[in-house]
Amino acid sequence: MHAWTWLLQRISAVILLVALGWHIALLHFSNGGAPLSYNDILTRLKTPALLSLDVLLLIFGLYHACYGLYSVFLDFDSTTKQRVVVLVLLIAIGLGFAGFGVFGLVSIVFSS
Amino acid sequence: MPDSLHVKVFRFNPDRDVEPRFDNFEVPVFDNMALLDVVMHIQNCLDRSLSFRFSCRIGMCGSCAMYVNGRARLVCRTQVSSLRTQDITIMPLPNFPIIRDLVVDMAPFFEKWKKIKPYYVSNKEISEPVVVRPGSGEREIIDDMLDCITCGCCYSACSMVATNSEYLGPAALNRAYTLIADKRDAIRVERLKTVDRSYGVWRCHTQFNCAEVCPKNIVPTRSIQNLKRRCVLHKFGIVK
Repeated sequence: MHAWTWLLQRISAVILLVALGWHIALLHFSNGGAPLSYNDILTRLKTPALLSLDVLLLIFGLYHACYGLYSVFLDFDSTTKQRVVVLVLLIAIGLGFAGFGVFGLVSIVFSS
Repeated sequence: MPDSLHVKVFRFNPDRDVEPRFDNFEVPVFDNMALLDVVMHIQNCLDRSLSFRFSCRIGMCGSCAMYVNGRARLVCRTQVSSLRTQDITIMPLPNFPIIRDLVVDMAPFFEKWKKIKPYYVSNKEISEPVVVRPGSGEREIIDDMLDCITCGCCYSACSMVATNSEYLGPAALNRAYTLIADKRDAIRVERLKTVDRSYGVWRCHTQFNCAEVCPKNIVPTRSIQNLKRRCVLHKFGIVK
């Protein structure tokens, strides 16, 4: 189990580096440094590739963050019960935020 | 070189003292003086009640590790001049229970050492003699890691050991790696299962504190990273 989650954490780190770089470049530098309007962002989100990029960023970002938090928790002495509670809590938070984020993105894209 | 050293020594006798204290000593300096000479001078000439552990005096036994000026060191192999200061603070190794003054209880360290079965188990299916050639890649990986003298410096410097009492620690994991990497060993899978646990290799965050203080210049972090890789490859069935 640890081997899989650790490997996925490494993979998510690489994906985050690429996706986050791309996200920042698109958001802050693609318009010659000028701020983007709401309509600009809406247009971009309607591009399947960019929508996928944002969903990827969200899911892998959440996985990376939750795994990191759990790892920090495990660095300290804890009981099995505490570990299970924290793990379940982090999975619920991760899934909750992922669902909320994907729902938000999809709603924006299909709202207009 | 200064004429004398201002030495501050950690003192604590659990049977008598309520809390630890520091005692100050002036110690005369001589050429090529080692830190072991400093504590021996204090014990021989200034305070006979000072407790510390040493044996071989040549950096082989690993019994004289202490925390000197903010770093774990073998006092027999550390020249006073290398510290570049007259002010020396000597403390017992962190992350170990204190028995008295500079003497620590190595039991937790060796309990974890025992968990990884730190001895070679021969594979009955392989007919002797089986040799791992000196020039082979496998031997090159193992050789650097074999010099461990179990002094506990890495264990005392590891911040994961400080926060997680179950974590096996750099020395035990490094030893496990030297055996797992040896294809002749009969219980490699069992060893791999022992280290592939939350308190095994996965607690290492590659801070390299262990490598920084190792008096034998071993890099346990490298062994641990190799073990992580091996655990993943084992899960995929790529290595047995």
